[in-house]
Amino acid sequence: MEPERIRNFSIIAHIDHGKSTLADRLIESTGALTHREMTEQVLDSMDLERERGITIKAQAVRLDYEYDGQRMEMNLIDTPGHVDFTYEVSRALQACEGALLVVDAAQGVQAQTLANLYMALEHDLAIIPVINKIDLPNADPDRVIEELVEIGLDGTEAILVSAKQGIGIEAVLRAVVQRVPSPKGDAKAPLRALIFDSRFDSYKGVLVYIRVIDGEVKVGDAVRFMATQKEFVVTEMGVFRPHLTAIDHLSSGEVGYFAAAIKTVQDTRVGDTVTSAQRPAPEALPGYRRAQSMVFSGLYPVDSQDYGRLREALEKLQLNDASLTFEPETSVALGFGFRAGFLGLLHLEVIQERLEREYALSLITTAPNVVYQVTGVDGTIHRVDNPALMPTPGEIVTIEEPMVDASIITPTDFIGAVMELCQERRGIFRDLSYMDPKRAMIQYRLPLGEIMYDFFDQLKSRTRGYASFDYQLAGLEAADLVRMDILLNGQIVDALSVIVHRDRAYYRGKALAEKLRELIPRQMFEVPIQAAIGSRVVARETVRAMRKDVLSKCYGGDITRKRKLLEKQKEGKKRMKSVGNVEIPQEAFMAILRVDDPS
Amino acid sequence: MTGDDFLLTDWGLYVHIPFCQARCTYCDFNTVTHMGVEDHQRYMDALILEWERATLPTGRLISVFFGGGTPSLVDPILIGQFIAAVRARVTDFDARVEVTLEANPGTVTRETFRTLRRVGINRLSIGAQAMQESHLKALNRIHGVPDIHRAVTDARAAGFENVSLDAIYGLPSQSFAEWQETLTELLDLNPDHLSLYRLQVEEGTPLADGVRRGTLVMPDDDRMADMADFAAVTLEASGLEHYEIANWARKGFASQHNQLYWTLNSYLGLGAGAHSYHEGRRWWNYRGVRRYVESQHSGDSARDDDEVLSPMEQMREYMWLGLRRQRGVSRERFQNKFEENLDQIFAETIGELTQLGLVESYDGILRLTSRGSDLANTVFRQFMA
Repeated sequence: MEPERIRNFSIIAHIDHGKSTLADRLIESTGALTHREMTEQVLDSMDLERERGITIKAQAVRLDYEYDGQRMEMNLIDTPGHVDFTYEVSRALQACEGALLVVDAAQGVQAQTLANLYMALEHDLAIIPVINKIDLPNADPDRVIEELVEIGLDGTEAILVSAKQGIGIEAVLRAVVQRVPSPKGDAKAPLRALIFDSRFDSYKGVLVYIRVIDGEVKVGDAVRFMATQKEFVVTEMGVFRPHLTAIDHLSSGEVGYFAAAIKTVQDTRVGDTVTSAQRPAPEALPGYRRAQSMVFSGLYPVDSQDYGRLREALEKLQLNDASLTFEPETSVALGFGFRAGFLGLLHLEVIQERLEREYALSLITTAPNVVYQVTGVDGTIHRVDNPALMPTPGEIVTIEEPMVDASIITPTDFIGAVMELCQERRGIFRDLSYMDPKRAMIQYRLPLGEIMYDFFDQLKSRTRGYASFDYQLAGLEAADLVRMDILLNGQIVDALSVIVHRDRAYYRGKALAEKLRELIPRQMFEVPIQAAIGSRVVARETVRAMRKDVLSKCYGGDITRKRKLLEKQKEGKKRMKSVGNVEIPQEAFMAILRVDDPS
Repeated sequence: MTGDDFLLTDWGLYVHIPFCQARCTYCDFNTVTHMGVEDHQRYMDALILEWERATLPTGRLISVFFGGGTPSLVDPILIGQFIAAVRARVTDFDARVEVTLEANPGTVTRETFRTLRRVGINRLSIGAQAMQESHLKALNRIHGVPDIHRAVTDARAAGFENVSLDAIYGLPSQSFAEWQETLTELLDLNPDHLSLYRLQVEEGTPLADGVRRGTLVMPDDDRMADMADFAAVTLEASGLEHYEIANWARKGFASQHNQLYWTLNSYLGLGAGAHSYHEGRRWWNYRGVRRYVESQHSGDSARDDDEVLSPMEQMREYMWLGLRRQRGVSRERFQNKFEENLDQIFAETIGELTQLGLVESYDGILRLTSRGSDLANTVFRQFMA
C-alpha cells in the first residue's frame, strides 16, 4: 500500500472514559468483525484486562475503510492504560502519526488525559479530541470543550460521540483520514522497524509487533534486533484484522507482526529497532531504553513444595512479559522464594493474580518496595531491592530513592485535602494552576515509595472520588531513610522489614505493630511485637496468649462434624508461616499496605 | 459407673426426635416445626420399625437417649411404646440402663413427667439455657424463667432422681453478672448434672444473620473466657465434678450416654439424620423427616451414607474424643481396644504436647492438664492426620 493511503493512530484516554468501547465500534463499523463476532471490548484479550477494564498489552488492528471511493488502510494501535506502562505507551505512540484523545463528556479532562496528551505531543502526533458518552444525562460537552481549549487544543475540532450508542463513529473515521498525516519514511532505505510490543505464541514463538519506518521486510528475510544484536529469519508475517491474517511483506508506514522462531520475549525489547541483517541501518530509531523494574516484592509459595512450580510459572509468564524480572531469594521467615521486579503496583497485582489463577499457586507476597541506591562508606554504589538486605547505618553514606512528578487534578474544594495528603507523604510542592474556576491541577514531587502505600485510595477518599492522578518518574534523590525491623517474640522477621523515613519511623512502627497485633491470632503464649531501628525499639505491642480454644457442643453423636471442623482448623494452621514458635497468617506480610497513615 | 470405664462392648442407643414448637435462633440441628400429633405418631412408628430391623451389637445396652429437637413435645405414651419395643429385643434390659429424655420446660407438666417416669425414663435433661427473660426471649425459647423452676420441681415430684440442666454462655450482649445470676439460680435448683455450652454462631441461623448485620453483639473472647473460668470455679466449689469439657455432675451422676461417644463404644442412632458407630464403621440416616418416615414405612433403609475408619483413624479419634474426659485416656484400655501401645503410636505428638504443658501422664492414663483443657482444640488438632 502506498503510504498516502495509510493512517496509523492510537486512542488515548483517562481510565473509564470509553477507550475500549470506541475501539470496538471502529472495528465493527469498518467490518473487520461482524457484530456477531464482537465480544465486548475485543482488544482486551486477557480475562484480567476485561475484568479490570484496563488494557495491559498493546495491540494493533488493521481496519479497511472506504473514503471518497478510495480504500484506506487504517492501523489502530491500542495502548496500555496505566501509569505502570508509560514507557510501553510512549513506544506505541511513536508508531503512530495521530491520536484520538477521548474525554468523558461528564467527567471532563482528567490527570491521565493530560499525561497522555503531553506524551502524544512529544511525539508530534496530530490530536483529534473526541468527547465520548454524550448520551449520559449529566453530559456537558460545552464545558469539556472549554477545558480542551484550556489545555491548548482547538475546541471546535472536537467530535461528539457516544461509542455506546454508535453516534459519531463515521465522523471519527473521516477525521482520522483528514487530520492524521500519512506516514513519512524512506521506502528505499535499509529496514528500520520499531518494536512496540510482542507476545508469546506457543506454536509460532514470539510474535513481534512492529511499525515499519523505512524500507520493507518480507518472509524469509534475515533480521537483526539492534539493541540485543540477535538475528533471526522471518518465518511468517501478518496483520491483525483483528484475527491474525498472514501477508508476505510489510513496507514503510505499515503496521503488523512477524514470527521468527524466537523463543523468548527477552530478545524482543519494546522500543528496539529491527533492521536487515544483510543491509543494516547505520542508526537505530531514537528513544529505546531497557524496561526497568520499579517495584519489588518477595513471592513465596505457601507450601514450600510449590517452589519448583512457582519458578516454572514465573518462567512461563516471562516468555510473554519482558518487564517481569525475578531472582531466587531466601527468607528466614518464608523459606525459598523469589524477589520479583515489576513496572509498578498494577503490574505486580496482575502477575500475582495470574500466578494464583492460571497456575493455581497459593502465594505469600511481601509488601512491595522500591529500589534504593546506596552509597557505601567504601565508595561503592549498589542497588538494594529488598529492605532486609539494607546495610547497617554505619556502612552507609547516602541512600537515594526514586522520585516521581505527580499531577493531581481535583475540584477546588479539595485542594487543601490533596495538599495535606502530599505533605504527609513527604511531597515537595511544585505548582498549582486552575483549569477552570472549579478545578485545579496540583503538582508535587513525591517519593515513589510513598505513593505505593494506598496513596491512590487515600486520594480518592479524601476527594470523594473526584481527583485524578498521574505521575512520571523523576530520578533519584537522597533522603534520611532507615531500615525498620519487626521482631516477633524477640526474633526479626526478615520478610517484614521496611525502609522508612527517619522522621516517620515512630508513626509507621506504631501503626504497623498495631496492625500486626490485629492480624496475628492469639497463640498459646504471649507474643511481643516490636518495631526496631537497629537495636532501638520504636514501638511495641503484645498479642496476648490465647485463653480458650474449646469446642463444647456435641451434635447428637455426629462426630464427623466435629472432626471436619478440627481438620479445617488444622488446614488453616498449615497455611500460616512459623517464625520461631509464632504462627503468622499470610495477610500479615502485606500488613504494611493497610496501615492507615497518621493524619 | 464413674469409677470404672465401660466394657469395650457396652453400647448405647440414640433416638432422634426432630420436632420443635419453635426454632431457637442459634439452632442448626435437624429439627422441624409445625408438625401435628399424626406426624408424631407416624414418626414414632417409623422409629420402632427401624429399631426392629436394626442389627444390634452383641454387648450390653447401657444407655438410651431421646435427643432432639424436643422429645418432650411428643406424647409420653408414644415414648413408652418405643421403650417397650426396646425391652422386647434387649433381654437383659433393667433399671441400671440410663434412659434419658431431653425436655423443654415450656412443653411439660407434672403429669407429663409422671407418665415419662412410669414408662421407663429415669433421667431428664432439661434445657434451661438462661435465667433472664430477656435472653430467653431473644433466643426464641418458648419458655420463661418460672417454667424452669416449675419443671425441676415437677420432675422431682414425679420421682426423677437424676435431673440435668443445660445452660449457654456467651449470649449476645450477655453481661458477666447475668451469667453469674444464671449459674447461681441453676445451682439453687440442685441439679444432679449440669451441661454448659458456649454459644456457637452457626452459618445460616438467625443468630448468624444478626451478628453479621451487627444487630447482635457477641461477647469478646476474653469475656467468654471469664465466663467459662467463673463457671468452672463456682460449680466445683458447689461439689460438682468437672468430668468432661462441658459437663459437671454429682458423684455417680456422670452421663453414661455422652461418655460412650468419647470412648468410641458402639452406638446405634435411630431417626432422621441420626449417626451410628460400630467397630470402625460410621453411618447416618437421611436428614429429611418425611423421607426418613417414608423409607421406614416402605421397608427401605434410611441410611444416607457411611464411612469406614482405618485402625489408625480410629486411634486418632479415640485420642481426641477420649481426652475430653477429665479421667483421660487409659493406656490399658487403649491396648485392649486396639492391641497397640498408645505411647508408641503417638510418641511424637504426646512428647510435644507434654513439653507444651498441655497433657500429662498420670497413673496409667494420659489426660489434659488444666491449661490443656482450656486449649483442648489445640491438643485435638495434633491428633488430626
